[in-house]
Amino acid sequence: MKLKALALILIIGLFCTSANATTAADAEKSIQSAQNLWDKTKLAGHEWNTIKPLVAQAKQSLDNKKYAVAIELANKATQQAKLALIQAEHEKTNWLNNLPK
Amino acid sequence: MNLLSKAATTLLLISLTSVSYATPEQDKETFQSFYTERFPDISKADFGDGVYALDQDARDQWEAMNDFPPYEDNLEEGEILFSTPFENGKNYASCFENGGENIRQNYPKFDSKRNMVVTLELAINECRINNDEEPLPYKKGDIAKISAYMASTSEGSEINIATPTSKAELAAYDAGKQYFYSKRGQLNFSCANCHIQNVGRKARSETLSPALGHPTHFPVYRMKWESFGTLQRRFDTCNKQVRAEPLPGQSEAYRNLEYFMTYMSNGLPVNGPASRK
Repeated sequence: MKLKALALILIIGLFCTSANATTAADAEKSIQSAQNLWDKTKLAGHEWNTIKPLVAQAKQSLDNKKYAVAIELANKATQQAKLALIQAEHEKTNWLNNLPK
Repeated sequence: MNLLSKAATTLLLISLTSVSYATPEQDKETFQSFYTERFPDISKADFGDGVYALDQDARDQWEAMNDFPPYEDNLEEGEILFSTPFENGKNYASCFENGGENIRQNYPKFDSKRNMVVTLELAINECRINNDEEPLPYKKGDIAKISAYMASTSEGSEINIATPTSKAELAAYDAGKQYFYSKRGQLNFSCANCHIQNVGRKARSETLSPALGHPTHFPVYRMKWESFGTLQRRFDTCNKQVRAEPLPGQSEAYRNLEYFMTYMSNGLPVNGPASRK
C-alpha cells in the first residue's frame, strides 16, 4: 500500500515537473504563433485592435512565469487573428454587397 | 448539372464585375441619388451639415452653439501658423496655387507623376519639408489648425475632385471604394453599414450621419476632442468603434479612402471647419 502511494506521488511529481518545463516553451510557441497570424492580418489590411493587447498581455504573463495564462491569452489572440483573416478573405468579394442599391 | 453550375458561376461573376466596374461618375450618381431619394426634403448641399441635416433638435442646439463657435481660437491660430514665414523666408502660400486660398475643394488630388493621392494635409507637410522644416504630426494639432484655416478660405466653393480616368487614378479610387464598403474590425462593420444602410437610424443614442457631405466640413472641432481633427482622425475613431486597428496618418489606404469619399461629395459646398459633438 505504501509502495503504491509512493509510486503515485512520484508519477504525479514527474508530470508536474514536465508540465512546468513544457509550459514555458509552449507559451513562447503560442505567442509566436499568435504574433505570426497577427502580422498576417496587418498585411491583409484587416487588423483588429483587440489582438494587440492580448499578445501584449500574453508576453507579460510569460515574463511573470504565468505560462498557462500566457498560453490562454495567446490562443485567444490566435483565434481572433484567424477570424480577422477569414473576414479579409470574405471581404475580397463581399464588399460589393454593401454598395447602395 | 456541371454545365449549369458553371453557367451560374459565370453569370454571378459577370454581375459582380459589372457592379464593381461602374465608372466613378456612375458611382457618384448612385451614391448621391441614394441620399436624395431617401431624404427628399433635404437639399443636396445640406448633407454637408452631417447629422444636423437629419435631426432638427440636434440642429437647433448646434446652431445656437455656433453663435460663438468653439473653434474660433484654433482657427485664428491656424491663420497665424499659415502666415508665419519659414526660416528661409518663404511660407505656405508659396507652395500652393492661389497662395493657398480657396483650394480646399480641389483636395485630395491625384499626383500623376508619383501615382499617388495627395491630401491637403500631406501637401502642407510636403510644403514644410521642401522648405527645410520638420513635418507636423498628422490628424490633429497644428496641421489640423492650418488645414482648418485653409478650408475656411474655401467656404461655399463646391467640392471639385477631378474624375479619376487613368489606370493609376482608378486603382487608387477603387482601393478607396473597396475600403469604404468592406467590413472590418471585430464588430464586422463597414463604413457603408453605418453611413449608408443605417443612415438616420440610431447607434445607441447617436444618429448615424450620411456619408454624403462627410468631407465638406473637415477639419472638425469635436467637443469630445476639444480640438480640431482632420478627416483621417475621424477615420481612426470609426475604426476603433468597430474594433479595427486605426492606420497611420496619410497611409495609402486612408488617402485612397479620402479620395473616394471626397469624390462622392463632388458638387457639395465646402462648409468647414465645423463643430461636432
